[in-house]
Amino acid sequence: MILVVAEQRDGKLNRATLETVAAAQALAGGDPIKAVVLGQSAGAVAQELADTVSEVLLVEHATLAVYTPDAFASAVQQVVASAKPTYVLFPHTYQTRDFAPVAALRMGGALITDATGINGTGAGATFSRPMFQGKLSAEVRHQGDGPRCVTIQIGAFRADAVKRASAGPVTPVAVDIDASAIRQAPEAPFKEAKQAVDLGQAERIVAIGRGIKSQENIAIAERLAKVMGAEIAASRPICDSGWLPMDRQIGSSGQTVAPKLYVALGISGAIQHLVGMKGARTIVAINKDADAPIFEVADYGIVGDLFEVVPALVTELEKS
Amino acid sequence: MAETLEVDVLIVGGGPAGLSAALRLAQLQKASGGEPLSIAVLEKARDAGAHSLSGAVLDPSALRELIPDCEAKGVPFAVPVHRDHVYFLSQQSKFPFPIIPPPLQNHGHFIVSLNELVKWMAAQVEKEGIDLFTGFSGRDVLFDGSRVIGVRTGDRGVAKDGSKKSGFEPGVEILAKVTIFCDGVRGNLTKELVPRLDLAKNREPEQYAVGLKELWEVPEGRIEPGTVMHTLGYPLLQDQFGGGFIYAMPHRRVALGFVIGLDYHDPLFDPHMAFNRFKQHPFITSLLKDGSLIRYGAKALPEGGWNTIPQTYMDGGLIAGDAGGFLNSMRLKGIHLAMRTGMLAADAAFESIREGDTSAASLKRYQDKIDAGPVRAELYPVRNVHQAFGYGLLAGLMFSGLTLAMRGRWFENLHGKPGHKRMKMLAWYYGLDVPASRTSNATTIDRKLTFDKVTNVHYSGTSHVEDQPSHLLVQTEVCSSICGPEYGHPCVRFCPANVYEIIREAGHPPRLQINASNCVHCKTCDIMDPYQVITWVPPEGGDGPQYNGM
Repeated sequence: MILVVAEQRDGKLNRATLETVAAAQALAGGDPIKAVVLGQSAGAVAQELADTVSEVLLVEHATLAVYTPDAFASAVQQVVASAKPTYVLFPHTYQTRDFAPVAALRMGGALITDATGINGTGAGATFSRPMFQGKLSAEVRHQGDGPRCVTIQIGAFRADAVKRASAGPVTPVAVDIDASAIRQAPEAPFKEAKQAVDLGQAERIVAIGRGIKSQENIAIAERLAKVMGAEIAASRPICDSGWLPMDRQIGSSGQTVAPKLYVALGISGAIQHLVGMKGARTIVAINKDADAPIFEVADYGIVGDLFEVVPALVTELEKS
Repeated sequence: MAETLEVDVLIVGGGPAGLSAALRLAQLQKASGGEPLSIAVLEKARDAGAHSLSGAVLDPSALRELIPDCEAKGVPFAVPVHRDHVYFLSQQSKFPFPIIPPPLQNHGHFIVSLNELVKWMAAQVEKEGIDLFTGFSGRDVLFDGSRVIGVRTGDRGVAKDGSKKSGFEPGVEILAKVTIFCDGVRGNLTKELVPRLDLAKNREPEQYAVGLKELWEVPEGRIEPGTVMHTLGYPLLQDQFGGGFIYAMPHRRVALGFVIGLDYHDPLFDPHMAFNRFKQHPFITSLLKDGSLIRYGAKALPEGGWNTIPQTYMDGGLIAGDAGGFLNSMRLKGIHLAMRTGMLAADAAFESIREGDTSAASLKRYQDKIDAGPVRAELYPVRNVHQAFGYGLLAGLMFSGLTLAMRGRWFENLHGKPGHKRMKMLAWYYGLDVPASRTSNATTIDRKLTFDKVTNVHYSGTSHVEDQPSHLLVQTEVCSSICGPEYGHPCVRFCPANVYEIIREAGHPPRLQINASNCVHCKTCDIMDPYQVITWVPPEGGDGPQYNGM
């Protein structure tokens, strides 16, 4: 028998589960396939899978309401111990990657991860998995007596190719999980509200270079950016020192921009920076060094101390 | 646990040595039949040849032996050499040598782009069905006791702070019956092997030079393609070893470069500035006038010769090519020796694997093959030449002449000392008059003929994932404490790619900033740092220069 470990969150089935069922069907060669659904109230998910497998095992427990590797590994271990499948298949999701290795270890079974293909059926089957970033494909099989665990790469099998039959039974299975033995305390899930800086869209950019001297001085440039309605950006040394995040770096190892106005403060204009901004329509450079190559591409250049020039500019701009 | 891959022969480094070894193995297999060997080649560059840099004038003898029909298969020889010149340069003039010294006669040789030659060789290797893993670096040697059992490749997707990024992929352990180390000059794996297995016992210390090269496009008719020029003298001093080269290629291209022994005394000397000064010599300027720079690169080369080559065989391992120091510094050639030693290493590995014994005792046959054939015949007679230049240019030239006349029958071996130990402290070299400029041979930079390092680096095409740990491991406490007063931070000068910068901020001791993403993988810092506190390790696989056409 082949056991598919389904993945669901808040009553919603992860579609990769269906791909894993398809893989199980390819592997089965007539063997029965069962699925196990873990959660607190996951009956609907179990019903959704019922016509794809011969039986759905529904494991409901308070500790499974929110994912923790300890609870999930323990639950899978107990289900496998009683159901005794020859294969245990997981969808290769982040959650699986988190707990499948420890579950396999506790069950005494070998784990083949990231399988993209199955050759043969039943106990003698071999699995293909990519190596060297997909340059090679390795052909591997399980050794040892424990349950043969496999994670199925997402996209390797087609969810819409799952063969459906009349709905099989959904059987509740009891597990014994000691809440105090769970070592992880999950926080509420959150999505990183990342404000991606798209400097490519900015009409005006104030960019700083090493001439800014210290992180505290960046405030001077930010004031100018604010009155101009410009984005702040930098050359590599500034981002390399961690004074500004890397997504504000302009140049060959950062972003390439073509704003209407580009103000370069204390940027010498190494070619690595120039290739990232020379498409700007108007370039204004402020630098102490009259020989700095930035002046070769600048439309307007001020040879002077940016700590004198910029505050004066800010004052004038505020007036207008 | 790391993933493992088992092969019969693992070749680390896809340069001339490694690819020759791979091709030779494929040929042996075809000729002898039997169970085919599994072979893997690791190469840190994203594309084959991208990190290969040389002059280069190729002695095709080894290539013709390896691939007799190489011309029919489209080998990219740029042009046959049909004219040799050797000049001694004074500050304003040039004096041609009345005769071309025999080692510098290049009749029958070809000007090539090593990058293109290696790309072509890689294609031949892949045609044989051998797996060439480009973009994968060898990070650590795997040992079982004193036996080499393989190599671990570098992790990918590690952030600057050491944490794993979302695309993290751990390195792979590649286990092999025989590992052939072709990791090039000052290879990071060979550097690990030699002290651990005591392979340099009773050998002379290795000597290195650094070569800086530019590829130019010049106006039509400036130099006839196939012209080879070598120079001595300006801008180097008596006690500095080195010289320039100019190779005229078809399509208005000129390869020019400058090679400088990494054993100079002056801590304020800057090899990159010497290259700039070389180009400012009226003769060189006249060749480049109205031309434009296409590419730039730099690479160290092993110049110590026969007596500095370490023991090249060990349990489960062999060393070939520049990694072993197989280069003839008198002929300024090493590609053919890299190929030859790669081929011999393949022969030895093949025979030992077939016999089922890949111990050092069995693999010693590699050394026997080297000793019995053209490699020793070429290198042994000139074994003392580089060391002789340690006594100055004149002594070196006289000794070279003597060596030729006597065919190397010299009664004793000359000794050298490691180049980094020859660098003098500021106070020794300058007494109380340490120049304030901090670069003793600075010259004007116009960004047309002469370039600052940062601009040159751009033309090397080098790129590195910025968010990764520095691949230059430096014990930086040395920089802020003793290096400034003692040597004046020579790293900022000997590095030809502006990787090292000293940041001086009021109220703080000078601080070393490492611009690791500028690195062109030349290894000069690992070699020349006087305290030997810089260790070069491979960055994320695929990073580094793009030496197209170099």
